[in-house]
Amino acid sequence: MRRAGPVLVLLLLVALAVYPPFGTGYGHRAVIQIFMWVALAGSWNIISGLTGYVSFGHVAFFGAGAYTAGILIASVGWPWPLAALAGGIAAGVLALAIGWPCLRLKGPYFAIAMLGLNEVLRALVSYFERLTGGGNGLSLPTLDANIPIYYAMGLMAVVVTLIARLIIASRFGLRLMTIREDEVAAEAMGIDTFQHKLFAFLLSAIPAGIVGALAARDQGYIEPLSVFPLATTITMIVMTLFGGKGTVWGPVLGAVVLFVTQEMVWARYPYIHPLLFGAIIVAVVLAMPRGVLGLLQIKYRLPRTI
Amino acid sequence: MNVVITPAMIGQVIISGILSGTLYAMVALGLALIFGVMRIINVAHGPLLMLGAYTTYFLYSGLNLNPYLTVPVSMAVLFVVGLVLERTLVFRVIDAPELSSLLLTFGISIALVNGAQLAFTSDLRSVEFLTGSWILGAFAFSKSRVIAFAFAAGLTAAVFLFLTYTRVGKAIRATSQSRDVAMVCGIDVGAIHRLTFGLASALAGAGGALIAVIVAIQPEMGQIWTFKSFLVIVLGGAGNYPGALVGGMLLGLVEQLASLFLTTQLSEVVAYVLLVLVLLVRPTGLLGGRQT
Repeated sequence: MRRAGPVLVLLLLVALAVYPPFGTGYGHRAVIQIFMWVALAGSWNIISGLTGYVSFGHVAFFGAGAYTAGILIASVGWPWPLAALAGGIAAGVLALAIGWPCLRLKGPYFAIAMLGLNEVLRALVSYFERLTGGGNGLSLPTLDANIPIYYAMGLMAVVVTLIARLIIASRFGLRLMTIREDEVAAEAMGIDTFQHKLFAFLLSAIPAGIVGALAARDQGYIEPLSVFPLATTITMIVMTLFGGKGTVWGPVLGAVVLFVTQEMVWARYPYIHPLLFGAIIVAVVLAMPRGVLGLLQIKYRLPRTI
Repeated sequence: MNVVITPAMIGQVIISGILSGTLYAMVALGLALIFGVMRIINVAHGPLLMLGAYTTYFLYSGLNLNPYLTVPVSMAVLFVVGLVLERTLVFRVIDAPELSSLLLTFGISIALVNGAQLAFTSDLRSVEFLTGSWILGAFAFSKSRVIAFAFAAGLTAAVFLFLTYTRVGKAIRATSQSRDVAMVCGIDVGAIHRLTFGLASALAGAGGALIAVIVAIQPEMGQIWTFKSFLVIVLGGAGNYPGALVGGMLLGLVEQLASLFLTTQLSEVVAYVLLVLVLLVRPTGLLGGRQT
């Protein structure tokens, strides 16, 4: 079993890598979406699952990346891979600006600051109309193939999961988890908690920005409502909580299971599914705070690093 | 924009700021009470306010009631909703890590907003009751805002009197100072938690009822109030109840000033910058509060 894990992962990656020539347009689109949610849920997991600081506005980084890349592609004519990196940098800068004042403090300050950030960015995007197109949105020049986006998004899903794996197995990760369990004790042990939280926040925000940039390139059109929806943050949170926060594979499991369920079942009942998401959050927090993977870890004595 | 700022405009800004600031203070007092007593930031506070606004709307459009007569009804309804939420869900996370209570109330808030979308649709609704303004010299007083101010000031004063002079109020303050000592003194801490949550929800309900006459009602109207209420208690100092009053006034004034010098579109951005500045310079709030 222990040996089978890496082999299975490798096989899955190879299968996904050779899939595009055989797949249909819908198949590509669906897999890109799954990659995107794996990367987004994984990025939320790094700050909130590992450090315990809840980011209620993670979609802000997604949106910041999307708008940065969108403007650079549409107005300046940058190639999209470069624009995607710039989107990541923009998200990182934003994370520094928010993290610097809010992560020095303990308590709910960070969570609520993130809750407001989304509204603020949406207002700013609407206000700076000449740059962003305001409410009319921003159209990107058309790009015929979405195969490169497929690989780029897949790479992001792998990178985010790998980051989580590396963190969890490292001393840095142990320190983050100490902060999560008892921040005062962590400080007493000499951990520079502010610096650790800020670094985790950057590692969490930058991938979300790059993913936002890739999604903007993929959709070819962005507007404030499509790029900053609270629903995106909610989905990241639900996926991570369901799969198991603070684990490597929890966000992956949650993203795949919930995305497939969403496509097959809930797509027919679009109005009820946010309500279900709210109910899932409440139920998971109360009944299985460590998610599905957490339950499996305890039941089958699986290693902590999955 | 080259606007000449006259003293009358400044006066108007101060008046409008105080009018809306009192409303902020009342709603934020609810959030501050829950935080002080239970150490929980209730992310669902704004959506509870939205429920209060819908209560008033339906009583107004269905039974043709004067919306100001529905304020006690909205408060009673929300008191019960708060009580039920605490008794069934929230009490389970009081001693849990902060992450649990934040996520739980976030889940409740999503469920409330989307429940409202399902039940009431996302259509904008309004209570067109008192429109227009009273003119007094150079100043205009929006009628609905003046009455909202009067209600908010009265209710806030009533809550402070209740907290200061009644036995139950003292028990609430005792629990907020030290739960263990309160328990040793024979206070039923669980009951105090329920009561506090109900009272705080009732304040959100009153806020919703008063706002229903001022702005359009829709399921997503509440979330921004969670953020603004939090901003108010950060300005005043978390856990410092009178601080909520100061914080509310300050937020009201800053928003009005922002709409005078910039544009109303950016008033939320200004409020946000204010939050970040306060957290940078004086995270314990202007009046000082307790660190968590």
